[in-house]
Amino acid sequence: MEQKSGCYNKYAKRHPRNIYTGILYHAARWILGIVFIYASFHKILYPAAFAEAVYRYQILPDWLINLTALVLPWLELFLGIFLIIGLWMPGAVAISTLLFIIFMGALSYNMARGLDISCGCFSTSATEGATDIRTVSRDGMLLAVSLYLFFATFRSVPRKGCDLNR
Amino acid sequence: MPPRDRSIWQQALWQLPAIILMAGLVGICVNHLRPDSIPVVGDWSVKTGMAAATEDNLIIPLSEAAKLFSARAAVFIDARDEQDYESGHIRGALSLPWYNAGKRFPEIAGDIPSGTTIITYCDGKACHLSHDLAVFLRDKGFENVRDLLNGWTVWQDANLPVEEENAVSP
Repeated sequence: MEQKSGCYNKYAKRHPRNIYTGILYHAARWILGIVFIYASFHKILYPAAFAEAVYRYQILPDWLINLTALVLPWLELFLGIFLIIGLWMPGAVAISTLLFIIFMGALSYNMARGLDISCGCFSTSATEGATDIRTVSRDGMLLAVSLYLFFATFRSVPRKGCDLNR
Repeated sequence: MPPRDRSIWQQALWQLPAIILMAGLVGICVNHLRPDSIPVVGDWSVKTGMAAATEDNLIIPLSEAAKLFSARAAVFIDARDEQDYESGHIRGALSLPWYNAGKRFPEIAGDIPSGTTIITYCDGKACHLSHDLAVFLRDKGFENVRDLLNGWTVWQDANLPVEEENAVSP
């Protein structure tokens, strides 16, 4: 079959099928991308403070606390960049969705057991205020955007005339 | 309808670990190069033990703290991070961010006269830093350590003397 030139752009074929879903798709990419980059900023600057925030969640074993505090901010930064430039979208949206599910679990778990800790989501400050239902719903909204992006990416159909098995 | 792209799952399968690996490598390398690096595997067991230790009589009421302040009979220690401390703190308070307490403690230890009451504080009812710092200081041998709950907020609300970034209040 004759391939169209666009088929050689690996990522072009991921774009959704019409202009409206297209706008939605790109908006979702940018929203999550900006949120991730913004969230990573403070944590990259102050790793020790972020480790303290991770410690306060009292979920991870001790040996994983610093490692998480060192890697997670960079993961958020990379995800943000990848989402915005549209690189490695399948992997990026999969991790993004996973992260929001994990955050949701950690936040609700600690809320349910009444642990009065700060979120550490966008700042490493221990004084930013306790985790509450607003924190969880904010995560829920971002999870919804990420899930949309996940399905939009994984259910995207090839462009007409593109043979994706090549 | 055109066929779905099956290879997308395969792409996700290698991209997922690849992104995590990249973040891990960069995170650990950057940490290695920066001056304020933290150990990749930290020892949190000490803090866990200390935070779990329940201390009687640790919390000091604001009125008592204010009395000690005006009598200059107490040293205030700010448990929040440097940025918070710099933007405003109780007048004369020392800065000892809890997350760095072990490392920074020797720097300020000389400023604490022995036998003085130490009052730790942070900000927000949810903030445990001052409590943990108080326990840490007791562990270091200071007997008279108290914790002023939600200290920065209640201190300002009571219009007690503070030092702020650009101005010093009366």
